[in-house]
Amino acid sequence: MDYVIHLFILINIYIILTTSTNLLVGTVNMLSLGQAAFYGIGAYLSVLALLSFNWPLFPSLLFAMVGTGLISFLISYPSIRLKGDYFVLATLGFQLIVYTILYNWVSVTRGPYGITGIPSPKLFGSIEIAGLWPFLILSTVLTIMVVVIFYNLIHSPFGRALRGVRDDELSMKALGKNVNRLKIYTFAISSAFIAVSGFLYATYVSYIDPTSFNLDESIFILSALIVGGLGNIRGPVIGALFVIILPEALRFMGLPDNVAANLRQIIYGLALILLMRYRPQGIAGTYAIK
Amino acid sequence: MIWQFIVNGIITGMIYGVVALGFALVYNTTRIFHIAYAAIYMVAPYLLMFSMQSLGLPLFVSILLAVLGTILIGYAVDILIYSPLAKRNSSSNVIMVSSIGAMIIIINVVAIIFGNETKIVNPGVSQSITIGKILVTYTQVFQFVTALFLFLLFFIFLKFSRFGIITRAYRDDEKLASVLGTNIPAIKRLLFILSSAFAAVGSCLIAYDVGMNPYVGMPMLLNAVVALIIGGVGRFEAPVLGGVLIGVLQSLVVYFSSARWQDAVTFLLLILFLLLRPQGILGEKMRTV
Repeated sequence: MDYVIHLFILINIYIILTTSTNLLVGTVNMLSLGQAAFYGIGAYLSVLALLSFNWPLFPSLLFAMVGTGLISFLISYPSIRLKGDYFVLATLGFQLIVYTILYNWVSVTRGPYGITGIPSPKLFGSIEIAGLWPFLILSTVLTIMVVVIFYNLIHSPFGRALRGVRDDELSMKALGKNVNRLKIYTFAISSAFIAVSGFLYATYVSYIDPTSFNLDESIFILSALIVGGLGNIRGPVIGALFVIILPEALRFMGLPDNVAANLRQIIYGLALILLMRYRPQGIAGTYAIK
Repeated sequence: MIWQFIVNGIITGMIYGVVALGFALVYNTTRIFHIAYAAIYMVAPYLLMFSMQSLGLPLFVSILLAVLGTILIGYAVDILIYSPLAKRNSSSNVIMVSSIGAMIIIINVVAIIFGNETKIVNPGVSQSITIGKILVTYTQVFQFVTALFLFLLFFIFLKFSRFGIITRAYRDDEKLASVLGTNIPAIKRLLFILSSAFAAVGSCLIAYDVGMNPYVGMPMLLNAVVALIIGGVGRFEAPVLGGVLIGVLQSLVVYFSSARWQDAVTFLLLILFLLLRPQGILGEKMRTV
């Protein structure tokens, strides 16, 4: 039973990751390979607030979100004018720079040794959230909040403007919309909410090191989103469920551990290729990436 | 002492140049962002090792086999993944995501067959010679000569052969080239073959020196892409220039601080170029955006 709860917490974390990434990839068509960098920045900022400042839950969470959102300007401001492959490359470069900094700035991040003993967050300064059940409740509440926020965002005038940018950027400019500003805001919102999963991950596992936030993780988040589907709320949720539950299904096939890990990756790769060929909008998405 | 680092950087950079040239052959012409190239690069030394250690063939036969095998895999990626997508006019992002899928599959198949750990192709320490104060190993000399030979051969072909002329025409304007009767699909296949061959040679040269694991492709691909971008997309000399520049730069980073910051400096350079001079050093006007 404990294991099932653990899986549900992981699913919650990934739902937040894919849903936030969906705003970037699915509503504005900005393919980003730097999502794990924001995930990592969110996690490290949360640790900074919890461990060094000794703040309670909500201030720490807010600090991580605002901090990550602000850092996203560093990459969004210069890169939004780039198109297609070049934009992807810029986010990729950002991902690798952030990873190198997290890995090598040992005096601050403790580099490859990672940070241990991250305290459980305290609600209102007294109620400590520790153990599986409280965490399941916390992560579920946060996930529902994030999903509701994104649902409203996608269906708001702001969301419609974003879809307009995605479908016809030139027309949006002609209508007097500041396309670049919309893109920068989208980037900031998406990364701020990714920081929520960074917060959850750091406090749940109570240990972080840079290898959880490398390029492979970025590719993994993007694959989860693309497999699930782009452009709506259903898609990212199904994507997160798929990538967390599939390994469990493979477990029942009784494969040796090392082969199982590689086989799982092969299935993700195959899913990406087949979906791009036959169903570019993913399992449940409404928007086919272009 | 600093000259030692510069020489090392130039030799490493030449190999970056070989790999980047292979990537550029595909990117400059077809505009496919060939991420699976990372996996194709990684396969070659495994084939080399298999041929040398399991089949017991001599080194040069093994290299030939490795290159041929790698070409076959690159060809398969083109036939199975890119061509069907190109037929339905898929966008560059769709092709890129499929390419990521192909890369993941190849890497993990190799990991299942050969294991996740680092393998050594050539046990033992290479002998070295000293020129002035600079120490060069025989492996490095071999790397340098092979890379130089490949560049000369390629650029002579590019300049004077019919294939070279068609390739440059394809790069400049695909529609116009095909209207003038060029068999674009055939030239595309040829480019993929050549590209995989460059990856295989570069990869074997490096692996012969330091060994390999299933994950060496991505860092090398990233170096190659940075080399291509800072050199200038669209020109075939550019990746060579960019490769040597990055090689020297990374070497100097090691000299002045430490190897830890190599990647950060490389990608900072990439981002600076994307911002300030997206057309690269040799800067030719680009066909699209």
